Amino acid sequence: MRRRAATFGKYALLAVFLLFFLFPLYWLVLTSVKTQAEQFASPPVWWPRSFTTDYYAGLFQSTTGWLAFNSLLVAAGSTLVALAAGTLAAYALSRFRLPWRLNQRLGHWILSTRMFPPIVSIVPLFLIMRGLDLVDTRAALVAAYSVFNLPFVVWMMKGFFDELPRELEEAALVDGDSRFGAFRRIILPLVRPGLAATAIFCMIVAWNEFLFALILTQTEGALTLPVGIANQVTQYEIRWGAMSAAGVVAMTPMFVFALAVQRHLVRGLSFGAVKG
Amino acid sequence: MEPQRAKSVTRSVQWREKAFPYALLAPALLLLAALTVYPFFYILHTSVHRLTPAGETFVGAQNFLRLLGDPFFYRAAVQTLVFTASALTLEFALGLALALLLDSQIRGRALWRALLLLPMILPPVVAGVTWRLIYNPGFGPLNGALRLLGLDTRRLTWLADPIVALASVVLVDVWEWTPFVFLILLAGLQAIPEEPYEAARIDGSSPWQTFRHVTLPLLLPALLVALLLRTMDLVRLFDSVFILTQGGPGFATETLSLYIYKTAFRFYDFGYAAAASLALLVVTGALSRLYIRFLTREERA
Amino acid sequence: MKLCNGGTVVAAALLLSALALGACRSRSTDSDLLMAVNAGVEADGLKASAAEYRKERGITIRIIEYPYQSLFEKLMISLTGPSSNYDLVMIDDPWFPRLAEMQTLAELAPLFRARGLTGPDGDFVEASLALCRHPYRTGALYALPCVGNTQLFFYRRDLYEKHGLEPPRTWDDVYRTGKEIGEREGIYGYVMRAAQGNAIVSDFMPLFWAFGGEMFDASGRPRVNSPEGVAALEFMLRLAEIAPPGYANFNADEVGAHLLQGTAVMAINWPAWIPAFADPARSKVIGKIGYLNVPSQKRPGASSIGNWLVGIPRRSRHAEEAFEFLLWVTAPEQMRQSALKGNPPTRRSVFEDPELVARFPSYPVQYRALVGSRPRPRSAVWNEIENTFGIYLSQANSGYYSAREALDAANRDIEAILQRWNLSARNP
Repeated sequence: MRRRAATFGKYALLAVFLLFFLFPLYWLVLTSVKTQAEQFASPPVWWPRSFTTDYYAGLFQSTTGWLAFNSLLVAAGSTLVALAAGTLAAYALSRFRLPWRLNQRLGHWILSTRMFPPIVSIVPLFLIMRGLDLVDTRAALVAAYSVFNLPFVVWMMKGFFDELPRELEEAALVDGDSRFGAFRRIILPLVRPGLAATAIFCMIVAWNEFLFALILTQTEGALTLPVGIANQVTQYEIRWGAMSAAGVVAMTPMFVFALAVQRHLVRGLSFGAVKG
Repeated sequence: MEPQRAKSVTRSVQWREKAFPYALLAPALLLLAALTVYPFFYILHTSVHRLTPAGETFVGAQNFLRLLGDPFFYRAAVQTLVFTASALTLEFALGLALALLLDSQIRGRALWRALLLLPMILPPVVAGVTWRLIYNPGFGPLNGALRLLGLDTRRLTWLADPIVALASVVLVDVWEWTPFVFLILLAGLQAIPEEPYEAARIDGSSPWQTFRHVTLPLLLPALLVALLLRTMDLVRLFDSVFILTQGGPGFATETLSLYIYKTAFRFYDFGYAAAASLALLVVTGALSRLYIRFLTREERA
Repeated sequence: MKLCNGGTVVAAALLLSALALGACRSRSTDSDLLMAVNAGVEADGLKASAAEYRKERGITIRIIEYPYQSLFEKLMISLTGPSSNYDLVMIDDPWFPRLAEMQTLAELAPLFRARGLTGPDGDFVEASLALCRHPYRTGALYALPCVGNTQLFFYRRDLYEKHGLEPPRTWDDVYRTGKEIGEREGIYGYVMRAAQGNAIVSDFMPLFWAFGGEMFDASGRPRVNSPEGVAALEFMLRLAEIAPPGYANFNADEVGAHLLQGTAVMAINWPAWIPAFADPARSKVIGKIGYLNVPSQKRPGASSIGNWLVGIPRRSRHAEEAFEFLLWVTAPEQMRQSALKGNPPTRRSVFEDPELVARFPSYPVQYRALVGSRPRPRSAVWNEIENTFGIYLSQANSGYYSAREALDAANRDIEAILQRWNLSARNP
């Protein structure tokens, strides 16, 4: 009897939690398909009488399509750069014993750059980009986000490399392969799931980023989706419909991605400190 | 002739062997250095200057002295502290509860875990606008639900109320990041082996005692990881506050990051913003060193 | 050792193409002009104008809209750089002194001369044109006024008639009649913007001026805590008695909503709201709202002017074409079109246009308000001053400070700001 009460209690608690965490998202999606009259209705309309796809259609006609495209391009570009540079660095730190405890020191330095508050680096970064005349380009964001994600890539991939026994390369080297060849032919294929997971993490971070995009972009040539969503808050009113539709568009790919890397999620979130 | 050439070939091969790891490291290190080392020195340099349209003038420690006497800076710092502390408490309480819940026998565990990812995964800007919708005093569902329960919501303006605004913003952060804590704690719980629990059961411990003496100590590493990471993120919080209140009403939700942002981009007082940035950097630097030291201990273990 | 093998080449190619992808600026053809505008009714008006301009002249003006605060940041960032994206920029008049001081805008006189003109014609309202000169009123011309906003006083004419009361002429009238009608009707007597920053300062200035306050004395030092100033703020706190709860964070949004829903008797607000009052989808008070100039007290009521000016960045590469558009869009015909969308004009002829007056019965009042308006003090650091002033005003309204404490603190801080930048400010 007590057991049953406890079980019921557990499920009840879980239900409350789920309600708390999921209701706001339900409301967001709902707002994106409500008519304007129902959006401003009081008492609130919990289930609309009529649905409208106007706001989503409006997304295609407005610049939001461009923004999503920019976000995608920037995320993909920065992920590629971070992945390429970071994987190479991770391999070096994992496999080679460097003098002066460099393995540890470099690793820690790389991690510490991730802890830099973005607000602190934004002004000098902005000045660099302005000096290179790269303000309001996607290249500036690609560069900035690559730096964001590099430490993460290094630590994630290092963890994956560490798990592979050294004998694998040794065997290849004995067979006459070069260092890099061994890396490319033997090691890389084995860490492909790790690469995929890391890549997806990088995409999520780049896609969600706001502050740098806010400062470094001005026109729809480079503006990203988060900034576009924030811009719906105008001086006189907030365009709830357009904003929520854009919000749904912004969040859906991320959820799909996150599901894909669920297995590695904890390891990624904790920079390898906790094995998920 | 032959042996000499062989020797030089060997030496060049050896050199290439030695250089290989550095070559691998080079792109990453260069990229990082260019975009983090320069900013750091820039901040140092700017913090001892005043920038005007005419140019920059060296002012020594003036910006820092002003910082020390600036009530708004202190208020922003205190608010950031209060914000961090309350958000951490709630996130860990809820996160732990959720982790314990989903560690036990519950059906559909994988599904719940997947769904609970959502708040953490979506762009913080989207979280911000979602909660602006919810908090809206006129047509938002929060006041709507309270009215259904018979409450008079005319005074409940949430983000517009100077007293409640900070708590409202804290709630949004709790909503967004409790899943993060939950996931890490869950992983930590699942890593605890059966033996200690067996022993506790044999000893006849109550659930509470088991929790205090078995679960908590073994969960400590994961707890610390989550604590340090969340603290670092909270101290530098910007996105959601910017969207929700921009620091208002009055100064009620102004955090350090926002204060620095406004000083730099609305008042164009870059020297002062740089000085304030250094203060923030000191805090995050200390936290990150703690974290790294913790990681090192784990590595050695 | 083969360091450069296929793998590296592929990786490098990927890297380069990623960067190349990132670097392609989608800058449209070089003949397009770029204009930064305020999101909302101003942007809507300009987009329509730009579309017509393209039909007429074949030149494309791309309108980029930003929320208010973001627009200021973008202007500062863009105009102070080595090159400027924008060819035309929309400037809120309080930002103008700073931009002009930093020499970021092109002087318009040479552009006029190149067309054989001496300058803007006399149809422009003098108060608006004066804003575009640096120094104020007397200096060189750096912009043209585009949207002639000035605050108006909105009141429920129907309720005043119903209760047999005269429309309020002084602030004391406002309090008295607002309280009376509010109690009888069960609504709020007065609603105002008290959100920190631009909102509360804009709403407070007419009150401050009406009570005899001046922000700066003759030598340019701040005097917000004069007895008149304190009296004005104390009066504002009295008005809070008949204001809705939560007004301490109201912006134009919430004030407009209260008027539209019929839950407030009167308010100061911007004319952009007038079309909404007649919109059946949003308004419960169609035909019930009257318009007045802001109330007097010790001095005649003077509303804050808040015009949108349009300038050309000095570093624009299309200054000539931009100027062409500027002349075209501030010409009477285009201004008429824009006015129909809810953007008050800055030309007398447009204010007196019969069709518009029939459409907007508030125009005569608006015109008089514009002519008699005052700008906020001209200072390159107005943004900082307004922010500080706004924080203290807002905190007085939240009960954190008393009126005297708030103004003393504000005065002290404003003094510090001016000293720091070695400036003084002028009351125009």
